[in-house]
Amino acid sequence: MTHYFAGLDIGSTMTKVVIISDKLEASLIGPTGPEHRKLANKVMEEALDLAGLRFIDLTYIVATGYGRINVPFADRQITEITCHARGIHSLLPTVKTIVDIGGQDSKGIKIKDGKVTNFVMNDKCAAGTGRFLEVIADSLGVPLERLGELSLTARKAAEISSTCTVFAEHEVNNQLANGESVANLIAGIHQSVATRVYSLVRKLKIEPDVAITGGGAKNIGLVKALETRFGYPVLVPPEPLITGALGAALIGKEVYEKYTTEGQTPIRCGRGLEEATFFS
Amino acid sequence: MAEDKKPRALATQAAGKIPKFVRGSLSATLKAKEEGKKVAYAYIADGQDEIMRAMDIVPAWGESFAGVCAAKRDAEKFLQKAEADNFSRSLCTYATCTIGFDMMREELNGEPVPGAPWGGMARPDMILGSGQLLCDPRFKWPQATQHYIPDVPVFVGNMYYPPFDPKLDHKDQEKFYVKYAADELRELVKFCEKVTGKKMDWDRLAALTELSDKTWDLFIDTYELRKAIPTPMDTGDAMNTMVPFTFNLATQEAYDFYKDLYDELQQKIADKKGVVEDEKYRILWGAGLPSWFALGDFQYFNNKGAVFPVEVTYRGGEKIERLDLPKTNDPLEHIAWRWVRYWTHWYDKARKRPGSIPKVERIIEYIEDYKCDGVVFHSAFSCRSWHAGIIHQANTLKKVYGDIPVLIMEGDIVDISSYNEADTHNRIDAFIETLDAAKKRKG
Repeated sequence: MTHYFAGLDIGSTMTKVVIISDKLEASLIGPTGPEHRKLANKVMEEALDLAGLRFIDLTYIVATGYGRINVPFADRQITEITCHARGIHSLLPTVKTIVDIGGQDSKGIKIKDGKVTNFVMNDKCAAGTGRFLEVIADSLGVPLERLGELSLTARKAAEISSTCTVFAEHEVNNQLANGESVANLIAGIHQSVATRVYSLVRKLKIEPDVAITGGGAKNIGLVKALETRFGYPVLVPPEPLITGALGAALIGKEVYEKYTTEGQTPIRCGRGLEEATFFS
Repeated sequence: MAEDKKPRALATQAAGKIPKFVRGSLSATLKAKEEGKKVAYAYIADGQDEIMRAMDIVPAWGESFAGVCAAKRDAEKFLQKAEADNFSRSLCTYATCTIGFDMMREELNGEPVPGAPWGGMARPDMILGSGQLLCDPRFKWPQATQHYIPDVPVFVGNMYYPPFDPKLDHKDQEKFYVKYAADELRELVKFCEKVTGKKMDWDRLAALTELSDKTWDLFIDTYELRKAIPTPMDTGDAMNTMVPFTFNLATQEAYDFYKDLYDELQQKIADKKGVVEDEKYRILWGAGLPSWFALGDFQYFNNKGAVFPVEVTYRGGEKIERLDLPKTNDPLEHIAWRWVRYWTHWYDKARKRPGSIPKVERIIEYIEDYKCDGVVFHSAFSCRSWHAGIIHQANTLKKVYGDIPVLIMEGDIVDISSYNEADTHNRIDAFIETLDAAKKRKG
């Protein structure tokens, strides 16, 4: 009998689901919003459809991310820090430092044998997060997903001195009015984010290999800026958004295997594929 | 998660008595005028306690008042008042909260500020600052306060101790520091005599110094009971039970408080009653003042089976015999010796471990004595004296001692705008997972 394990990563901006057996069965990425967060069950349904499975086929479910408590049918909640570490270790076992640039936060994680040994997270400021890039992209009228490629066409990165999102947006608008090119401005913004992230992560004593995860890893301009800041290449997993969900699914699998090895059955939460009700 | 909502059922009864202590200290300042006593703005851990008590000077502790404002989440109006006069939020928020309060009281001609938590503090008759190595506001806070109460005389003493140098034996220099500190205290006595119009009762000072020594001993004996597994009291309580030692030293009430606490902890140990039912992780609070508005975070740890049997913060004492103080009949010289020897207590150990520093030696000693699995530091951004050295301490600890899970929490002591509960709890969750993984690795 094949056992299936699901990991749900409910992030501040995106929701990710991964279903595994001995291989990857399905993965799904969708936006998180107040309603989506409430409807983790719908996202799971879609992922199950993709995998051609039913809810009762799942042996164990682990939820992670900021919205992890909003998944009533999860058997266990684990932080995204632990799950990212586990996910990256399975994909890129040589990695010792993870830089996760998410929608509303960024983190540095040190790992050893797939386990977290130390971590740092950004403070309440949005600088150094995906939100910073969203605000600037919006201000420049450039789709978020095009920031990376556009920045690679820059002749010279514009100097953005503000680390505050609001002031940086103002600075970008001023420089735009003074004739600075959009590409140079985006390159400057990437440098600004890279500097901010670097100063956060260096508190951990960065050790290579370094991997980048989260939405920020999908921006080639930001990845290049980070490589310049770190002084060596960084690794990007094939789908950097799902490493947390993958890690959650893998941890679920490990929990199940540990219990069964000891002749026990893991305790399930016993809930069906239902929506969280504690919002109303 | 339902587990997060479990109440901390086994907190000490002694901790429950603390609000009465704090409120009593604040109201004592308000009653002092009727009783013909002088009020002094005072600052903790500065070696001046016995002198004030011996001269019947009522201390008004800004740090305590600001902490109360923060705990009641009622500090913002005072912070904003100070900010309006260009005091930056990155300055010590104990200082800016109190200065904002002073500004308001002066606008009312020294009358009590309506709505001030627990009645606030009385207008002082003097300010007894202590510029020393504990924190930099000790120099500037009294001076800044005097802008608003210019008729109030200020004395800022300097209580130094030898800096740590791994290649030098500080004992070669300590007599100089002791003499300097004792001379400063003598000047303080003269200043207090002038302001109060009373002469120092030296016998009373000697008796109160002896009482303080006894309280130091009892305080440490009591806190060392927390080595028991499960621990009968954690830092969540200690952030309360530190009050008599920190703000009421050289009083019988403080001594009696620790006698009661000692008995209570002994009973808990005999009954095998821990802070939590199932103690899974023991953590050292390695440095930093807490966020007074978020003390519930200790309970969040407790609900996950994590307890703090020991903390560096507010453990400003040591067993007197361990300090090996030279005999002297001069109480001021005794206080000076106690001061210098306390602050240099971990120097010898640090010299023996290459690359170490005294603060880290202290942390290592506590990790080992209290069998801790990890260390939490709290980086309160406006408390620069702690905030700036925390990462260095954490890195040094890992370098000289080994890989032990460390969490650096971020926030402030008073300024609630620094705090994000969801983020803080997320960090705690991740730290607990890290602790768990480390424990499993160790086997």
